[in-house]
Amino acid sequence: MTTNPSINLKDLIFLIADPSSYISMLVHSMLRGFGSNKILEVRNSTALLHTLTGQKIDILICDAHLPPHGGLPLTRAIRGKKDNEHRTIPILIMSDDSRESTVKRARDAGANMVIAKPISPASLYDRLSWVAFNPRKFVDTTTYFGPDRRFKIEGYPGGEGRRKGDKEIEVAAEAGPTLAQDDIDNLFSAVQTGQD
Amino acid sequence: MTKPKAPDAPKPKVPGVPKPKAPSPEAKIFDVDTRFQSMARREGGVSREKALEKAQEKIEEIKPQFDEWLDVELDKLIALIERAQDGRAEKNWVSQAVFRSRQLHHAAATLGVELLAFIACSLREMLELVEDGGECNMESVRCHIDALMLARQASYRRLRPDQVPELTEGLRQVAKRIAS
Repeated sequence: MTTNPSINLKDLIFLIADPSSYISMLVHSMLRGFGSNKILEVRNSTALLHTLTGQKIDILICDAHLPPHGGLPLTRAIRGKKDNEHRTIPILIMSDDSRESTVKRARDAGANMVIAKPISPASLYDRLSWVAFNPRKFVDTTTYFGPDRRFKIEGYPGGEGRRKGDKEIEVAAEAGPTLAQDDIDNLFSAVQTGQD
Repeated sequence: MTKPKAPDAPKPKVPGVPKPKAPSPEAKIFDVDTRFQSMARREGGVSREKALEKAQEKIEEIKPQFDEWLDVELDKLIALIERAQDGRAEKNWVSQAVFRSRQLHHAAATLGVELLAFIACSLREMLELVEDGGECNMESVRCHIDALMLARQASYRRLRPDQVPELTEGLRQVAKRIAS
């Protein structure tokens, strides 16, 4: 694994979305240790959408099981809403299910990375560092909006790199439950009007 | 303990048929340099070594609250299971129990409380099978709750699973029976 330089998290606004207050506190503590000084927490997806519509966030760290919608549909919603200023923010999904199928679903929803739970400070730091120093191009198609889903072979923490036979542009079919654009708009507008 | 890996679906090999994920002609690819990325790369950051050391210190600061949180969480989990045993359970009690055992597992593992993390993980995996439509064996659930009660005691708190082989092997057998 390549070693990235130090990361400077001062004044960056983190949003931790996890239903458990204690787990959230643990992640919060790790980020404080890394030098972060602006950290917000929410316990459910309704509060998450409220926060995203109300203020600027620089990075989202979201639990895959965040009630009631779940982290992956939320990621798809954030990426899918065209007039959303947070459409391209880094999104890290925390999950205790690190099966390949789950990681692929997170990737196809538009997440930048999956962090395996239980989280260690090292795994969190390395993924933040990776996102900071290895920016990926964004891909916009009719079925996907998000970071390019190909990883370079060198340096991806704990993962597998691009295979030799990969195509120039990978445009996967949608995977998992999908929200239509109307559903995405409704999800955001319901929060904006206080209906959710 | 990790989830059994689902078998990969066989990849179709049909001669002469183009691969399904062909590049889309309307795909737009563009660079994005977010505020996170540009600011995180500024000079004056915290080195990995220092950051991990400081993060560990911060975690140590909240460790004392773990005991208190653990007691509350275990009590809630036990109450949930007891209501289920008495037939007074809420409709979504299994989901609630999965959530509580999952967060017990994650918090205990992050804080290095290994035996408790092991038992909570085993309970979580068993309950997830029930959540997915499997049969619920309350005796096995109760067995895990008793083990959690034991593991939270001060004399067991610092033990690893391999230091109490009878207990861990017993739970493994219970979990194995449920999974099969």
